[in-house]
Amino acid sequence: MSGSEILSTLLGSEVRGDLLVLFHRNPGLIDTVDGVARRIGRTTVAVISEVRELLVVGVLMQKRIGASEVVFLDRAKDRELLEAVANHLKTVRISGEN
Amino acid sequence: MEEGLRVKTGIVELDEMLRGGFMPGDAVMLAGSAGTGKTTLALQYLVNGVKLGEPGIYVTFEELPDQIYRDAKNFGWDLRKLEEEDKFRVVCTSPNLLMESGDDSLLDDVLRDIQPRRLVIDSLSHLEMFVKRDDMRMEAYRVVRYLKTRGVSSVLLWESPQISGGSFSVTDVGLSFLVDCIVALKPVEIESSMRKALVILKMRGSDHDKRLREFEITPTGIKIESAFTNYEGIISGSPRKIASEKFMELFRGASEKRK
Repeated sequence: MSGSEILSTLLGSEVRGDLLVLFHRNPGLIDTVDGVARRIGRTTVAVISEVRELLVVGVLMQKRIGASEVVFLDRAKDRELLEAVANHLKTVRISGEN
Repeated sequence: MEEGLRVKTGIVELDEMLRGGFMPGDAVMLAGSAGTGKTTLALQYLVNGVKLGEPGIYVTFEELPDQIYRDAKNFGWDLRKLEEEDKFRVVCTSPNLLMESGDDSLLDDVLRDIQPRRLVIDSLSHLEMFVKRDDMRMEAYRVVRYLKTRGVSSVLLWESPQISGGSFSVTDVGLSFLVDCIVALKPVEIESSMRKALVILKMRGSDHDKRLREFEITPTGIKIESAFTNYEGIISGSPRKIASEKFMELFRGASEKRK
């Protein structure tokens, strides 16, 4: 996935943006989708598909704990994606300057 | 037990009160009402642990980690940096998830990740929201045993709105019997000002300081001061100067008048 694709996936919607901010500020958060939705003041219905997108990109991971599915930040993947986005933004700036 | 084998809190006066520190692998209950300094003391215990080469985990059910990072920074503790160095983790989750168990426990990954020697749960009181009153002791026992089996020394925070009265109890669900040590924090009103007191109520297998000690929350963390030796009735909520101190005050007053 290219830098611009990652960027557009990560910032594809307002809810996704809220989720990214939540997990970046709170990298140790482990919760159900329902719990995560509550923490950003949204409903589960509004959040579930956005979480799925972030799971596909790999920035979030999923795990079964007893009867519940929980999601949490993949710190290594997150760093990797941030680097890719930063590199992409550098390229955009350089090409803009030319 | 030799002092070197104890789990030091890193707060010199508290370690003295504990005769060197907590016993390794023990479950410690840190009880107190809101604003008494439970979170600060617990974080200080973990940060000092990292300095002593013992990684730590802070499990929070209520406050989000970013608030904890911010508050800790005010005391000069950079938790994010400790996390980057894999010496510390803040885990934020729901109490029911901590209790749910299948093949994997919620804490398994993070325990494997940084191999902590210390762990704080803030707070055990939150389990009450998800567990029937009768099951509370059993569920808390499971959490305590999980940590003990892994050799992790734990500090379990407990919100006790009232540690007072003639025959006070720290919790009303029997958790005091589950833990090995109880440290209670209590606000005290003395001469129209609010002060804070710390007392070790129980410590299995070890002698400890039985006195109520005054403490302050300073810009660098908890600082324990001298004992409230001139007062009685602090725990019962009606502190008064002891008779000998009253007599001394009268005596001082009388001798000053004579001058």
